[in-house]
Amino acid sequence: MLQAHSILWHYLWVAPNALLGVLAIIAWRRGLHKQFPIFFAFAIIGSGAQLSVYAADVIPSVPAETFWRVFWAGLLVEALLKFSLIGEIFAHVFGPYPSLAKLGRLLIRGVGMALVLSATLAAAYAQQDSPYWIIAGAHILEQTIYMIECGLLLFIFLFSAYFRLSSSRPVFGIALGLGISSCVHLANWAIAANGGLHASQRTALDFLNMATYHACVLIWFYYLLVPPKFATKSAVSIPEHNLEIWNRELERFLQP
Amino acid sequence: MTLAIVLVIAAVLSLVFILRITVSRSLQVSGDSKLAGHLQPIDVEAFRNLVDPAEDEYLRRRLSLRQFRLVRRERLRATAAYVQVARRNAALLVHIGTIAMEGGNEQIAAAAQSLVNDALLLRRNATYAILKIYIARALPNWDLSGSPVLNSYERITTSAMLLGRLQNPAVPVRVSARY
Repeated sequence: MLQAHSILWHYLWVAPNALLGVLAIIAWRRGLHKQFPIFFAFAIIGSGAQLSVYAADVIPSVPAETFWRVFWAGLLVEALLKFSLIGEIFAHVFGPYPSLAKLGRLLIRGVGMALVLSATLAAAYAQQDSPYWIIAGAHILEQTIYMIECGLLLFIFLFSAYFRLSSSRPVFGIALGLGISSCVHLANWAIAANGGLHASQRTALDFLNMATYHACVLIWFYYLLVPPKFATKSAVSIPEHNLEIWNRELERFLQP
Repeated sequence: MTLAIVLVIAAVLSLVFILRITVSRSLQVSGDSKLAGHLQPIDVEAFRNLVDPAEDEYLRRRLSLRQFRLVRRERLRATAAYVQVARRNAALLVHIGTIAMEGGNEQIAAAAQSLVNDALLLRRNATYAILKIYIARALPNWDLSGSPVLNSYERITTSAMLLGRLQNPAVPVRVSARY
């Protein structure tokens, strides 16, 4: 069952990308593409890129080197889209609050630079797990991309949690899916790029990556399309104690 | 392999943190209605006195250096306690404000937006202030100004009052008070 080119393997590669394409169509019909244009582009182009890599893998006439070239191209396109998507998440979470957006932008730039530096160092010290540079390089590039992606998303989660900012349901869903996917992929590609694994072990990691991505696509479906259980939250009850004192003292205090 | 282990541990910790936030977000819904009750009133006048440089200067002139350092440390400890409460209140007001922003009323949403902005500014300033207080406790002769926190708190009380009145004209929010 857990073998390359098994039915489950085909399903886990094709289904999440097909579902992501369907999500993009539904999002377009609901007008969500105007609110989340980068996510929409990611859903369309990212799923298309992954399906192209799948096609290159299963079509017998495609030579191995061409497959890896397609894999590299897909990886670079996806990385560009994901970093743009992180920018979109950041803008949605902190953009409405000018008092925080400036500090947030400053910090995320610093974090981004530190992550790029760390990821470059990690890539420089990574063991080559294949004699072919095109394969080893792809694994190290995956590790590098997921290191930066995971770090940036973690920063957004930490920063918004510190300030108790709760983003809207779709934004949180997009960030959650991307966050889970990047954490699991980072762990897997770190093992793949540095571990010197057997083919069967690598296939098991591929299954884990694909299954996680499938779960993340379902998370995006849930958060973008399913309405919340509590459509309108209950009104915040305001404390009733010391009303007169509060009013008198506060208004006196606020007078210049 | 060491690098792989480090990256795997970092990835697992990040995943746990993200999942924890997801769980706490889903649990928050049930406790939303009790949020305002957790706000702790702050004696703004006492806080103003604690961060007043003239008060510090007066104590410096009246006390010996050793006594001044002791008193100053105690005053800084009290200041830190006030700032921590302001920081916590700011977090609660951010949450209350974001809930109010989701309502349909445009006037309330605008007031809530203003409240959230001020509360975020206060939380940021309070974080800076806490750092400054810790440094000042280590170096008691260093001049400390708490005015950014005080100014933010003044703005936040105005915003909270406006939002409270819009939501329920009869019952205002209490964020600061004199004991």
